[in-house]
This record gives sequence, C-alpha cells and structure tokens, in this order.
Amino acid sequence: MQLVKKFGTVTAVDRLDLTVSEGEIYGLLGPNGAGKTTIIRILSSLLVPTSGEAYVLERRVPDKSIASNIGYMPQETALDTGLKVTELLEFYGEIFGLPRSAIIEKENELLRFVDLEAWKNTLIAHLSGGMKHRVSLACALIHDPCLLFLDEPTVGVDPELRLAFWDHFHALKDTGTTILITTHYMDEARRCDKIGFIRRGRIIAEGSPTELLEKTETTSLEDAFVEFSRQEVTP
Amino acid sequence: MKIYRCLAVTKRVFRDLKNDRRTPALMFLAPLFAMFVFGVAFSGDVKDVPVIVVNADEGSTAQGVWISLSEEIISQLDRQMLDITTLKSADEARNDVEHGRALAAIVFPEHFTQEVITASFPGEIQVIIDRSNPNVANPVLKSITAAMTGTMQEIGQEAPITIHEDSIFGKNASFMDYFFPGILSFVAYLLTILLTLITFVGERVSGTLDRLLATPLRESEIVTGYALAFGLLGTLQSAFLLTVGVLVFKVTVVGNVAVAFVVIALLAVVSQSLGILLSGLAKREVQAIQFFPFVVLPAFLLSGIFWPIEAIPSWLRPASYMIPPTYAVDACRDVMLRGWGLEKIWIDIVALVGFASLFLMIAVLSLRRRD
Repeated sequence: MQLVKKFGTVTAVDRLDLTVSEGEIYGLLGPNGAGKTTIIRILSSLLVPTSGEAYVLERRVPDKSIASNIGYMPQETALDTGLKVTELLEFYGEIFGLPRSAIIEKENELLRFVDLEAWKNTLIAHLSGGMKHRVSLACALIHDPCLLFLDEPTVGVDPELRLAFWDHFHALKDTGTTILITTHYMDEARRCDKIGFIRRGRIIAEGSPTELLEKTETTSLEDAFVEFSRQEVTP
Repeated sequence: MKIYRCLAVTKRVFRDLKNDRRTPALMFLAPLFAMFVFGVAFSGDVKDVPVIVVNADEGSTAQGVWISLSEEIISQLDRQMLDITTLKSADEARNDVEHGRALAAIVFPEHFTQEVITASFPGEIQVIIDRSNPNVANPVLKSITAAMTGTMQEIGQEAPITIHEDSIFGKNASFMDYFFPGILSFVAYLLTILLTLITFVGERVSGTLDRLLATPLRESEIVTGYALAFGLLGTLQSAFLLTVGVLVFKVTVVGNVAVAFVVIALLAVVSQSLGILLSGLAKREVQAIQFFPFVVLPAFLLSGIFWPIEAIPSWLRPASYMIPPTYAVDACRDVMLRGWGLEKIWIDIVALVGFASLFLMIAVLSLRRRD
C-alpha cells in the first residue's frame, strides 16, 4: 500500500497500490523504466521499499519465510552457464529441499513442457537465448510454487512456444497458482485476468482487458494504454 | 586504414574511462600502491631478532688489566639487528630457541677469555640457532661472526676462536624447504580470492545471485557453501602441490602434513570470504581485476613468503600481522620445517579462525544489502 521505491533522486515506484487476488493472472503493462521490475523485486524480497508496505501471502516483505512458496523468474536469464540443464534444475530442486525422486520426476515433466528434453545434458552456455529463457522458467517452476513472479517471461521465445507458455500459465492458474507477470506483448496481455497499466511507477488504470478496452473505446490494449496515459497528463 | 576510424576507437576507450571513474582512479592508484609496498618492504635490513646471550665467561687478567673478551664481543653485536636478552643457563636458552621464543642463543663457556688469551685451548662460542628461516638465520650468524672478528682485531690478537653452530631446526634445509610452505599458502590465498572475486562479481552482474536470494537459500548458507567448497579445494590443491614438491623438488617435511592442510583449508575459507567482500565493490569483472594488486602485493611482500618479516621496517610490521597469509605461512613453516603440532601453532590457528569468522560474517552482511 502506497509503496514507494527511490534510487537516489529517481523514483522508480511512486505511491503504488496494487492487489493481486488469489488464483488470478495479473499482468503489469507499461513501457521500459515504468517500474515493473522494481515492483517484482520488492515483492520477491530482493529490495526494501523506501516507504509504504507490501504484503505477499499475508506476510509483509521482505520476508524469507515465504520464499519456498514463490517462483521467481527474472528478466535476464540469470542462469549458471557452467552447468548442464539437468544439473541446474537439480540444484534448484535441492535448494527447495525436494527429495531426489521428486526432483527427477519434476525435471522430466518440465523438460517436456519447455521442449528441452534433447538438450538436457547440454551446457547452458551453449544454448540459444530462447532456450535459456525456457530453462529459466523451468527453474522457477521446479518446486510447484503457489505464487509466480514472472518478469518478461516470453522475451526471446518463439511465437509457438509463447502460446504453449500461456497455456501452461492457465493450467497453473487452474490448479490455484497466482501469477504476477510483466510483459511487453499486448496480445499476450489479453490472456491475463486483470491488467494494471503502469507509468512512471504508478498504476494509471486497472481492470480486465475487456473493461480497459471498453473504458477507452479502443480495440487494442496498446491504444488503451496510450489513451490512459493521455488522460493522466491532461486530466 | 582510415585514421578517423582509429581515432574514433581511441575516443571510445577514453569515453568508457570517463564514464567509469573507478577504472582510471585504480589505474593510477594501483601502481602507486605497488611502488610503495615494494619500495618500503625491500628497503629494510633484518631487525629486532630475539637472541639470547648466556655468558659463563668470568674474564681474565692480562698484564695487570682485567679483560673479558666475551663482554667485548657482546658489546660489538649489532643491536639494531639483534634484540638481546641475557640468561644464566644454556639449557634454558636452548629451550627458548626450541619453543620459538628466540631465534638464537650465543653461549660463552667458562674460562673463554683465559683460554683465548693463553691460547691453551681454542676458544669456542656455541651458537644454538633456529635455521628454519635462512633469510634471518644467515644475517644473524654473519653479525655474530663480525662482532667476534671486530673484537679480535681491536685487541690485536689472532686468536683461535671458532663458532660451534648447533642448529635446532632446519639443519640440512634447502632454500626450497624454506620457500615451499610460503608457496603453498600464497597459491591457496591468491587462487581462492581471485576465483571467488570473479565468480561473485559474475553472480551479481548476471543476476544469478538475486535469483538465489529469491529462494529459501540464506546469505549465510551461500557463504558457508562456498567456504566448504573452497576449503576442500584448498586442501586438495595443497596435497597436490606437496606431492609434486616432495617427489620433484625433494622438499623435506618434518611435521604432520595433515596439520598443514588444516591451515591451508582455513586460509582458503578466509580468502573466499575476502573475495565475496571485494566483489561487492566491483560492478563489473574488469573492475574486479583491478583489485588484484591490492590483494596480491601485500601478501607477496609482507607476509614473510619471500622477505622475512624481521626485515620489514618496524612501523610497517603491524601491517604484516593484519594479513591472513602471514599466519598461514608461519604455521606451515612451523609444521613442515620445525615439526611442530597444533599445540605449538595454536596462535596462528586462532588468528586464522578469527579472520575467517570476521570475514565470513561481513561477507554475509554484504550479501544482505537490499538497497
């Protein structure tokens, strides 16, 4: 509530109020530098807000005790490139305290899902950018988290696989997983239950994709964003 | 080749430097630091070496004048080099040398002066000396010989005086025997610190550290995990080097090598914590590389690996005792050359454990920053 994060004189998040309901896919949409990543980093307990409060799974963050229920996928791939795909997945499985058999089972399931079965014994350094993104997503899902923070998860992923990703996000949602996602792809954003348009660290509009389009009488979320931005500048 | 394109590249390099103020600052600071450390550390002679004098000589009267050659020789000893204390018993002096409380003991026997003056027997000075550090032992022996020769020239007598050297440690030690424990410590320190520094800067820059910190993994667990890995690697590395040292260079090991491995493992833990700490100061791998002179030179010059601590100017000597490798080098030499065990090198172990605990704690705190 009224969350603020400043880096020196720059205000990255400005009096932000945001609520994500359990079991929904919430999309944060906005231009580069709008504060999307900072919000996700605060909610993942990686940054301390300058002022205001943020609660995740009913715990005020930063709080390490909820980390085992959260899956975090950063914008950069952030993978240990010196490991093979399976070695990295096993490492994350071990961190989350999964038994060996569960790790193997989950690893096989995720490798099928991200279509990397043929590459499982390849060094991550030798994978393409898109493949690294897929491994990154698999790492975030290894422990079956009930809450997912996905920062630009489909950047560099080919259109076919992007569709598969979104199908999987919805499958996760159906099992009760809550997802907070940032994306640049407006067509993808339509598949969110709720969208928050973010500009200069503030939510300028919020609602389901249909509601946002209706309010602005536009046909695309891109146009809707521009319209809300215009309204904010000239109220 | 077009000169304007070359100049564009040159300009880009300078623009890079302009935007990264730390790099040019380190480019000038690092050599200045190197020059300073080299200049100061190598400018001194061996000083303040603890030496015991046991004088049982009662002097003698020659042509109605009482004379004591032993007192004359003692007065000519270099007081800057030797920090002299006197004891009554040669056994007590030997015990002090054996326990490392003194480097040498000079023992003048009874009737020394009389025997020399009457030339009834060749006068013999016994020097009980710890030869585990030839860089210190040799100058000390030279100094004793010079005092003896000086005295005899002064009284105009060519007397038959000999020095009976009684080496306690390192009797047949080669320079490599002395040098090797230093190499073990230096290699473990250098490689661990550099490897951790580069790895952690990479972890920070690539975002993998953030990713780890978003999991249940705690900062203390990351640091402890690294400490265990590098402690083990340090031990394996020293075991490998020791095997090569013994087989190829015929290095003599008097003590229990397992104790030396414990020391090296501790040093590796200290070094990895220091690497993690330094990684917080570098934003890129290039900046991390610029820390090397600050890490390498003090250890190289001030920790007694090549240059004895006794030869470092006294005002700079406290700096030697603030560098972890100093304790590891000392402990490894004690074990490998003197054959000492944990009961005698415990001060070095305590110092290394202290450094390890302090640096590990600060390393954990440095990872906890959430600005």
